[in-house]
Amino acid sequence: MKARILVVDDDEALAEMIGIVLRNDGFEPVFCADGGQALDVFRASKPDLVLLDLMLPGMDGIEVCRQVRAESDVPIVMLTAKADTSDVVRGLESGADDYVPKPFKPAELVARVRARLRPGDQKAPETLRIADVTIDVAGHLVSRGNDRISLTPLEFDLLVALARKPWQVFTRELLLEQVWGYRHAADTRLVNVHVQRLRSKIERDPEAPEVVLTVRGVGYKAGS
Amino acid sequence: MQRLLPGIRYLLRAVQRKWRRSLQFRTVLTTLMLAIGSFAVVGAYLSNQIANNLFQERLAQAESETRYNVKQVQDTFDGAQVTDQSSVITLVYDTLNAVEGRGSVIQRRYVFEAMPEQTKPRNRWVESRASDQLTIGVIPPDLRKAVQNSGKDQYWASTQFPVGTEDRPGIAVGNKVTFNGTVYELYLIYDLNTAQKTLDEIQNVLLAGGAVLVLMIGGVAWYVTRNVVSPVSHAAVVSEKLAAGQLQERMVVKGEDEVARLGASFNHMAASLQEQITQLATLSQMQQRFVSDVSHELRTPLTTVRMAAEVLYDAREDFDPINKRSAELLYNQVERFQSLLADLLEISRFDAGAATLDAEPTDIVQLVAHVIEGVAPVAAEYGSAVTLNAPAGSVIVDMDDRRIDRILRNLILNALEHGEGRPVNISVAASDTAVAVAVRDHGIGMTPAEAARVFDRFWRADPARARTTGGSGLGLSIAAEDTKLHDGWLQAWGSKGHGSNFRLTLPLRRHEPITRSPLHLEPVNVGLPETGRQRTMVLLDPQRSAETPAATPGAGTPGAAARGTMADGFRGFSGDFSGDGGGAVGGATPDGGSAGPRETGMEGRA
Repeated sequence: MKARILVVDDDEALAEMIGIVLRNDGFEPVFCADGGQALDVFRASKPDLVLLDLMLPGMDGIEVCRQVRAESDVPIVMLTAKADTSDVVRGLESGADDYVPKPFKPAELVARVRARLRPGDQKAPETLRIADVTIDVAGHLVSRGNDRISLTPLEFDLLVALARKPWQVFTRELLLEQVWGYRHAADTRLVNVHVQRLRSKIERDPEAPEVVLTVRGVGYKAGS
Repeated sequence: MQRLLPGIRYLLRAVQRKWRRSLQFRTVLTTLMLAIGSFAVVGAYLSNQIANNLFQERLAQAESETRYNVKQVQDTFDGAQVTDQSSVITLVYDTLNAVEGRGSVIQRRYVFEAMPEQTKPRNRWVESRASDQLTIGVIPPDLRKAVQNSGKDQYWASTQFPVGTEDRPGIAVGNKVTFNGTVYELYLIYDLNTAQKTLDEIQNVLLAGGAVLVLMIGGVAWYVTRNVVSPVSHAAVVSEKLAAGQLQERMVVKGEDEVARLGASFNHMAASLQEQITQLATLSQMQQRFVSDVSHELRTPLTTVRMAAEVLYDAREDFDPINKRSAELLYNQVERFQSLLADLLEISRFDAGAATLDAEPTDIVQLVAHVIEGVAPVAAEYGSAVTLNAPAGSVIVDMDDRRIDRILRNLILNALEHGEGRPVNISVAASDTAVAVAVRDHGIGMTPAEAARVFDRFWRADPARARTTGGSGLGLSIAAEDTKLHDGWLQAWGSKGHGSNFRLTLPLRRHEPITRSPLHLEPVNVGLPETGRQRTMVLLDPQRSAETPAATPGAGTPGAAARGTMADGFRGFSGDFSGDGGGAVGGATPDGGSAGPRETGMEGRA
């Protein structure tokens, strides 16, 4: 089955070009040029992934991102023209899983899309623990005691990556490779923002983390 | 006393400090001192004048009274018709007692004494007589001498005489009287006690008045200086706040006097400062906005063009030769256009002050290794060996790794571009406060004048030189800006024909100024890594990696073990050598090391 991808971009030429590239790689693109209608189109088309431009008429891409995230865990990849730290971080904080800065190469875009669509690896029944948090890998469930914690697939992957090797300290680069699927050096802010978001969901006190620990100057590791 | 001394010393120090720091304290204290001084002078003069007047008046009175009384006594003595001893004694005593005056208050006292050294007549029954408690001893000898040696003149002198238990000041006036052929000295003593009491009272009044006046003057001085000083210290407080960035801070202005004018003009200055700063901030914001908008507006079509170009490029094999070449040109130039645009936008972001530092503690040694890994393909293309000489452990620096990565990538690519295929040596060294990374090439080099200009925008040492890597000419300018953002140093050294050295120095912790760099800018030891416990990585080109161990005859030496290739990643660079092995590590010596990789490059191309 072809994966359906919703492309939210007001620039028709770019949207068409992205469509050409996606179709060429075996995806099924759906388009929406207006931020205000993005949510309706999203509900109607039920895409497997959303490509979202940050600057949109009608509604800000960041707001669209927040609304989509509020009702679905579908992967969101932002297309950003702004390389400013604050914009990227704001986009990631509003719920996007990844971003592709303009101008991008077709291969780069496809790689990012594929990485996010990557079917969950053959998930054997497996239960992991970090600190007082229990992870049911196959069931995609995270819980503390009897409380379920709801995570997006990306946050879940991040947590599982850390939990599988509790003895290892993960550099941001390593996490980018394992969780996001980057082959080359990329922006480590992705990791920072998502670790923060993950912490805000699973830590009792995000200021004093017990589940995802920072190793100064190196990266992150699972708490014991 | 011993316990008191520190207290006094502390007090003195406190006063000294207050004297230095408070204009008001200084003014009030000075005023008080001056007032006390002038009152002392005026008071002394006044009391002296009054005392003098009182005395002169009393003296004049004493002299005239004495003259009268002496005459009375003499007249009484002259007219006496007594001859027997008892009546003589009675007469003399009565006469003398009459001198003391009538009433309860003794008006004057007397001392009556026969002159010494005279022939003693037979009927001299009276030798001396004096008022209560008095003897001839109270009369100053000088006065007695004057009276004795004169004819019938009257003399006076100040003296003191006992009354009850106290000594009282007085004036003694003396003359001679004659009785029955005997010459007597008669001294009348006048009490100055009343005058002294009056004087004391006047002095007390003067003192009290002076003290009150001095206090009042002090108070006035305090009030006046407070009125002047307090707006000044208020202004100081307000300007401190202004300097700290609280631009809305203003002085309180009351009235229309000079102080109010000071306040008003101060506020005026603050307002115009605030306006200009706000204007600058707005301008910078607009500039930032503009850059951001341009960035977005340009990038979206550029993305489309780039994607289209790449689709065409990927399909170029199906085109005829003209279209194929066109597709290639389009693809390459779009790439170049994009990197130029990115650099331009980056530099304008710096100009707008929109660049922010996203610093966190990161291991710079690992970052350097990472960058070297990233430039491996380029190094292979140029045929240059890249060596790394770094401390064995990690060096944690507060830095924005994205920016430092960009600086180092730029420096290394630059070194490769100008290195003419000779080795590029990268050194890392750290001190307690700073870390330095030096990138040394042995290529064409540059003159000191050129070295001074390398960080200028769009500057090129040789305009005619081909732009092989297609740089924008902004790379080193951006690197310099990135460094400045870290409060670091970025410096260049060059020598024509001997290559160049770029040194980046960063403070280990933010806001700690660098005092000296741990590495020399001018290479002392050209191309040789320092000996000691160091690890060294030598970068070879990827294609050769598989054959390297076999192709290197000295595979067993520590040098060879250090030869990590890019395919090995960091594994090749974990060597921790003892001193003797480290110095000779491959790639370092100009003949052994540089020859190998260069050869490799040739093979790769062949």
